Amino acid sequence: MELIDRYVAEVGRRLPRKNRADIQDELRSNLVDTLEARAGSSPALEDQLSLLREFGPPEKVAVSYRGDRVLIGPDLFPFFRMVLGIVLSVLAIVQLVLVGVLVAFSPGYTFEPAWLLEFGGSLISAFGSVVLVFAVLQYFGVRPTVEEDEPWDPRSLPEPEPELEVHPGGLVAEMTFGLILVVVLLFLPNLQGLVSAGGATFVINPVLQDNLPLVITSLRLGIALDIFLLWRGRWTTTTRVAKIAVSVFQMAVLAFLVAAHSRWLAAYDSQGLFSVFETIPATAPMPADVAQALVVWAFRLGFFVALIVLIVETVQLLISLVRQWFFSEPSRGSASGRESTSNP
Amino acid sequence: MKTDELTSITDKLSQELRRGSLVLAALSQLREPKYGYALIDDLAGRGLQIEQGTLYPLLRRLEEQGLLRSEWNVDGSRPRRYYVLSPEGQQVLVALTDDWLQLTQALVGLLPK
Repeated sequence: MELIDRYVAEVGRRLPRKNRADIQDELRSNLVDTLEARAGSSPALEDQLSLLREFGPPEKVAVSYRGDRVLIGPDLFPFFRMVLGIVLSVLAIVQLVLVGVLVAFSPGYTFEPAWLLEFGGSLISAFGSVVLVFAVLQYFGVRPTVEEDEPWDPRSLPEPEPELEVHPGGLVAEMTFGLILVVVLLFLPNLQGLVSAGGATFVINPVLQDNLPLVITSLRLGIALDIFLLWRGRWTTTTRVAKIAVSVFQMAVLAFLVAAHSRWLAAYDSQGLFSVFETIPATAPMPADVAQALVVWAFRLGFFVALIVLIVETVQLLISLVRQWFFSEPSRGSASGRESTSNP
Repeated sequence: MKTDELTSITDKLSQELRRGSLVLAALSQLREPKYGYALIDDLAGRGLQIEQGTLYPLLRRLEEQGLLRSEWNVDGSRPRRYYVLSPEGQQVLVALTDDWLQLTQALVGLLPK
């Protein structure tokens, strides 16, 4: 009977403490009963072996007594997914905006690639924390309350949304806007600055002029992407990845431009930006250099806003892509992809 | 489809089919108190072979649900745990029996002879 005792002990080791001894007693009693019925009161080793083989490995028997254990059960899973989505997207957006602000407004800040590691690490640890919270809820038996008082009405079903289709309207508008910008930048230099009120001094944005090829490349890429999207007509993994790739490039260009404007402004006025405007005489015509600083300042603001919009859009697009991959369902997040990207 | 795959699918479906009927089989034999092995033996005697590793945990679950009651009996050569239907279990047995009879009748009509 020593084998039976070893078997019962191994099963017990895998059972919750609460019922362990009771289940062990019962299991032993059942095993001995079976053995006795088959081989009498002095069973041979072979009889014990064949009985235990029939019962199966201790792990399997323990599982059938305690049921399947899950970290997060099906009742909690939809809530887990929702909370996870909110936490991760808020965390990602906040961090991206923060780093955007740093790149844009502090010329001393240099973007380190190691930041990406920290960014990834923070997302993983947030994921872990959410899992932990839900695992604790699961363990203590907290379950969402489902309201069953009101009978479900099929008429409350939402209208189907053709959300996978690319909306041509926004894309055409975006493309037109991009084309106009390219034409202005390439062929109409007199529209790129402003004439100072006092005289004939024409001030342009020197930073933009210095980086013209980069800006035009970025715009052309955007237009090419819009043509590609119009041609494909649907949001698929390919079109989303293409959109994200172009957006990332455009974000890099925008971040670079904002930083370049900041450097120019810092070099122009080391005491701080707003002192420039405070020293503008109320009556006299605006000096040309102040006007130029104003132009640079306005462009920087515009580029910065565009950068933030692009970051938010890209994060939404990324989320919908991740959802599509991991949960294989068409997601509402893809709707964001149709919005027109505000090109600089 | 390969033969192995087909066999494995058939086995799984067959297991599912039996699992549902197992509760009814166990309840039907527990109008009188019985201990685990005696129940297995009874069922086997009537042509229903059940793995011991499946039946014993099932008895405990039915007890947790309040359909069975159990107690240790030390009168025999060694202690044994006896299970018997609770009043609720008796009601469930009646209801499930009706369901089962309807279901088998319908299926017999459906299945090819």
